[in-house]
Amino acid sequence: MKVNGGLLQWAITFMLIGPPARLPNSSIAMPVSPANSVFLFSTARLLLCLACLGFAPQLVFAAEPVDFSRDIRPLLSNKCFQCHGPDESSREADLRLDVKASVFTVSEEGAAVVPGRPEESALIMRVASDDEDIVMPPADSNLSLTSEEISLLKRWVSEGAKWSEHWSFVAPVKPQLPTLKQAATDQANWPRNAIDAFVLARLEKHKLHPSPPATKEQLIRRVTLDLTGLPPTLQEVDAFLEDASPTAYEKLVDRLLSSPSYGERWCWDWLDAARYADSSGYQGDPERTMWPWRDWVIDALNADMPYDQFTIEQLAGDLLPQATHEQILATGFNRNHMQNGEGGRIAEETRVENVFDRLETTGAVWLGLTLNCCRCHDHKFDPVLQREYYQMYDFFNQTSENGGGRGGQISPVVETPTAAEQARIAATKKRAATLAANLEAFETKKFATAESGPTAAESGPTASSKNSELPESLKKSIREIKPQRRDKKALEEAAAFFQEKDDAYVKLLQQLLAANSARASAARSVTKVMVMDQLAKPRESFILTKGAYDKHGEKVPAGVPASLPPLAVKSGANRLHFAQWLMTPEHPLTARVTVNRFWQSFFGVGLVKTAEDFGSQGEAPSHPLLLDWLAVEFHQSGWDVKALHKLIVCSATYRQSSKVGAALLQQDPNNRLLARGPRHRLPSWMIRDQALALSGLQPNQIGGAPMRPYQPPGIWEEATFGKKKYVQDHGAKLYRRTIYIFWRRIVGPTMIFDNAARQTCTVKAVRTNTPLHALATLNDITYVEAARVMAEHLLQSPADPTQRLENAFRSVTARRPTPVELKILLHRLKTLKQHYLAHPEAVKELLAVGESSRDEQLDPVEHAAWTGICSLLLNLDETISKQ
Amino acid sequence: MVNPLHQHAAHLTRRQLFGRTAVGVGAAALGTLLNKSLPAAVGQPTNHGGLPGLPHFAPKAKRVIYLFQNGAPTHVDLFDYKPKLAEWHGKQIPDSVVGGKRFSTMTGGQTLRPVLKEITQFRQHGESGAWVSSFLPKTAAISDDLCFIRSMHTEAVNHAPAITFLLTGSEMAGRPSMGAWMTYGLGSSSENLPAFVVMTSRDKEASCGQIFYDFYWGSGFLASKYQGVKFRGSGDPVLYLSNPNGVSRETRRGILDDIAQLNELNLQDFGDPEIATRIAQYEMAYQMQASVPELTDLASEPKSVLERYGPDVQRRGSFAYNCLMARRLAERGVQFIQLMHAGWDQHNNLNTQLKIQCQDTDAPSAALVRDLKERGMLDDTLVIWGGEFGRTPFLQGKIEDTQRWGRDHHPYTFSIWMAGGGIQPGKTYGASDEFGFNAVEDRVHVHDLQATVLHLLGIDHQRLTYRFQGRDFRLTDVFGRVLNDIIV
Repeated sequence: MKVNGGLLQWAITFMLIGPPARLPNSSIAMPVSPANSVFLFSTARLLLCLACLGFAPQLVFAAEPVDFSRDIRPLLSNKCFQCHGPDESSREADLRLDVKASVFTVSEEGAAVVPGRPEESALIMRVASDDEDIVMPPADSNLSLTSEEISLLKRWVSEGAKWSEHWSFVAPVKPQLPTLKQAATDQANWPRNAIDAFVLARLEKHKLHPSPPATKEQLIRRVTLDLTGLPPTLQEVDAFLEDASPTAYEKLVDRLLSSPSYGERWCWDWLDAARYADSSGYQGDPERTMWPWRDWVIDALNADMPYDQFTIEQLAGDLLPQATHEQILATGFNRNHMQNGEGGRIAEETRVENVFDRLETTGAVWLGLTLNCCRCHDHKFDPVLQREYYQMYDFFNQTSENGGGRGGQISPVVETPTAAEQARIAATKKRAATLAANLEAFETKKFATAESGPTAAESGPTASSKNSELPESLKKSIREIKPQRRDKKALEEAAAFFQEKDDAYVKLLQQLLAANSARASAARSVTKVMVMDQLAKPRESFILTKGAYDKHGEKVPAGVPASLPPLAVKSGANRLHFAQWLMTPEHPLTARVTVNRFWQSFFGVGLVKTAEDFGSQGEAPSHPLLLDWLAVEFHQSGWDVKALHKLIVCSATYRQSSKVGAALLQQDPNNRLLARGPRHRLPSWMIRDQALALSGLQPNQIGGAPMRPYQPPGIWEEATFGKKKYVQDHGAKLYRRTIYIFWRRIVGPTMIFDNAARQTCTVKAVRTNTPLHALATLNDITYVEAARVMAEHLLQSPADPTQRLENAFRSVTARRPTPVELKILLHRLKTLKQHYLAHPEAVKELLAVGESSRDEQLDPVEHAAWTGICSLLLNLDETISKQ
Repeated sequence: MVNPLHQHAAHLTRRQLFGRTAVGVGAAALGTLLNKSLPAAVGQPTNHGGLPGLPHFAPKAKRVIYLFQNGAPTHVDLFDYKPKLAEWHGKQIPDSVVGGKRFSTMTGGQTLRPVLKEITQFRQHGESGAWVSSFLPKTAAISDDLCFIRSMHTEAVNHAPAITFLLTGSEMAGRPSMGAWMTYGLGSSSENLPAFVVMTSRDKEASCGQIFYDFYWGSGFLASKYQGVKFRGSGDPVLYLSNPNGVSRETRRGILDDIAQLNELNLQDFGDPEIATRIAQYEMAYQMQASVPELTDLASEPKSVLERYGPDVQRRGSFAYNCLMARRLAERGVQFIQLMHAGWDQHNNLNTQLKIQCQDTDAPSAALVRDLKERGMLDDTLVIWGGEFGRTPFLQGKIEDTQRWGRDHHPYTFSIWMAGGGIQPGKTYGASDEFGFNAVEDRVHVHDLQATVLHLLGIDHQRLTYRFQGRDFRLTDVFGRVLNDIIV
């Protein structure tokens, strides 16, 4: 679910067109006249038609031959595979349309497809039939083919019925760069790199031209937000504007790629995919401490860890030879799933669900496949059998986690003490050692004759007991075990025995007991991260009938689907072999799926729009050759993520202006052809980071335990019946980057919207618009305080109002305001000043929003008015968008 | 720049746009909003923001109020009268009835399963002669307006999966909830309130520990804009609704007008229809800031009406308050109103807690139906009252320990009632066996209920689908039968 427990949203689409509505208690009317409405509708219909005619992956040009992968397989998959696909149990007439042999095999009734002869092909006969007993798909399937689809099938057969495997299951080969027509290459700075050649070739086909480059101001803001999740500072903008060298942009990109903020920015996408949260979910929603794993990710990204290593360590770091602490920590990836500790649960059921989650998350992130279908049956569309699902399940089935237990540190765990915890351990250890030494000295003296220990006569003034009264066990422990190593029971026995006999001795004993307990508690309470391990004796894996944890079917060995390359080892494969298999060069999915996800982050939509589904029901790539080129390039680069990012942001494609004219908008409303640069609203976390960065409040600290920022009171309490109390942090923590906000699984942070719910793996971003988002950025304390502090900085530097406005405007958009814009803002400033001059109470209230202190030297009315201006600027569409 | 998306704006000349007082640009953009949604949602939008071709046929209900009773109300004590239970009281329930069925782990291991007679008194009510427990006098009094279904059955035995199943059609979280499907399919008819609103409450003593997971009103794989908006029981009813301290409504208006003007300039320059949406979005936020306080202001409610809902009606966050709010939301065009009240999970406090639950919920539920009826709204408002499953006709606990009597989860039969919105009034449909153990006559599966709700809204449940991960999903999975027998 996309929801986050955070800000809830609803359809903006609830807006009716129609007569103006008059609101109760207000005089607001919406001046949309009926005439306009009619017009809107006709425009709407026009656009609808145009959009349908525009870019669509299955679109066939009359002149172009039918392409099996693009046109036919998706059609067969969508309309036929239900009964004639990979799932044997639902297969009809023993016919498969997903396998070449079956399609062309001649049986007694002929062949489904006879190349070049539609009239002899049973498939064509059946789909084109008027007889409802014969026509396919059958009426009760709720499926039907359009006449266009039928003629497409006919054309395909007529043209020879060319067949190819589903594109994503065939390993990518690095394609030649396309030859470009002269006219297109006239474009200034096109192509800059290989990406542009593929994009341009596609544009030529559609008789489109790339857009001119974005301005330097637009560019630095766009690329800084994309690579670091933060806006450029004014100094950075100025420096870039002044740098007239041809390498200015590349230098900028290199600086951003090496900024520590880079890892924080890219970590976010990974946390969504890894369903990272700071609590377990379900009833009780206990806290967990997986954040050292999150820090591992940030560090790995910043260090540009190659993606194969990044993968292998997270999936199987524990199985690497002489695995380091860090490599084991990395396997926290597959313990980030929810954990149901509800009373009445069956542990094995929970364990099996956890294994499902691990496999399916891995499947979505690396394979881009929707494996969850196969829990219960063979995949309906893709070549993955239920049996093969459970063969892969076996890789994740071998950890000692048993589904039992509550809380957030369920074994196996790795101890990852923080600096403070380490200091506490050291201090308690030291104190225990000191006290033990004191005790030893005391005992040596008390039980003077060292060779015989306490059996000899006592000495000293405190002696009040006779040796003979000492119980044997006590004698033995005092004689044989040094205080440093004596256990709790022995120390307590001595303390009890000497009670009221030797106060000084008893006091020492008790001090040591207390110190030992403090030491143990310090050691016990260190941060623990749940990780993967491997059972010494392997657990057997079975096909689970209908996915039920207790309905064991056939026993299956570890393995991978036959439709994908084989594992390197013939038998005894484990999770490490599986992880290595994912990263083999001949693997058709991993590299494509990964570059596509990155592409999605930069352009808003992946080259494959269905980033979560590369199977036959997923969308075909908009630029298949580009996708393959990037995939091969990525692995040939040594899986260098930063190099890939650099390649993308340095392309002319990325550097285009995002302005769009009417014709292009009609032809390609969703910018799938890439004739313009990306433009879309920033993710909500980035909007928050941007505001805090602009205010200067955001501390520059990477990693560490999650923090709790401002949140309306009662959110956790309401969701948990008061069992979880939200205790907000104070000071610098309030302003830390959003990635460090404590994520309660059952009710996520309220200021975050349109984000993965972090309940299960999510690899696709969604963007919606609801008034609730606007309310958050207008009214949340964080944003109001950011505006107040931003205003303070503006007022602290000497300038006139116009200069100040220019600076403020530039800091949020990176560009200078136009005279019209300035005029609007100056007018607002004047109005606000007048208002606040007349309302001193309002001034006081506004300036008291947020916990950071305020410069009391500043004129309060000025400060309040400028706070209003800054809030306005922080809410501009341009500000909350990448453009 | 000639942009078809701007041609609407061009109708309003620049002077008109900027010359408007106060509400100018933002409000004008509300129309533009519709233009915007087109390219992003080709093949989807209609004038109401719903899907083309929907409703599939004339709807009987325009809106739904679901009074969800979390924790599972005990059918054998409230609606499903079984004289056999008194006869068998204290005796082991026959194996032939239980038939090796599974129970939650709380009684799964219990070998003694003595039958427990109802702890309330049953009597027939109204012209329809419906059997209703003495614990629910107000509900009983309106029984001629209600349709009782006594043959519901479900698949899950634990709360969260069962509630998720009822509300989303799947035991696992992640599918769109009923209200999200409705909003997705039909769009919205409210202009300044969400189409799908959720309110939660729990019993005063918090005897029931069930959490309200937000996936109970989630949008699953549908866009998050379709998920229910939770109206909170404390603080701002809608998150971040109030302006910050020191920002008046007038100040906000001025700032929003400037934001709209500056956005409009950017729209002229960049041509991205998304910007038009933004303008509308901010304007709608402003309008909501007025409509929500108006909604929650009870000053206009006559005392006689308030009294019907019982003494808790003035307490925000109570079930009674939420029921009254449900009526007010319905009056203002909200289409799916989901109330969730926790407190029905009597494993070991049947004799102490059940009465309290009934007191908390009986009057408000009945008052809502009466109010709707008096306003002529019951005809096109579907009200549903019920939980996620029933409770065992046998005892959880020891028979001698009456204070700790309880009943465990029971998915094999349970009872709900529905009213209005095209449902036949004064009807009892379906029946369980003589122990109230299995639904036996006119069995109603959860998917049947879902199919029926969609049907009443004018939606063919088989045709409202959404493609996700390569599959066309629907609320009723591949099941569901419309209960034509109970439809007017």
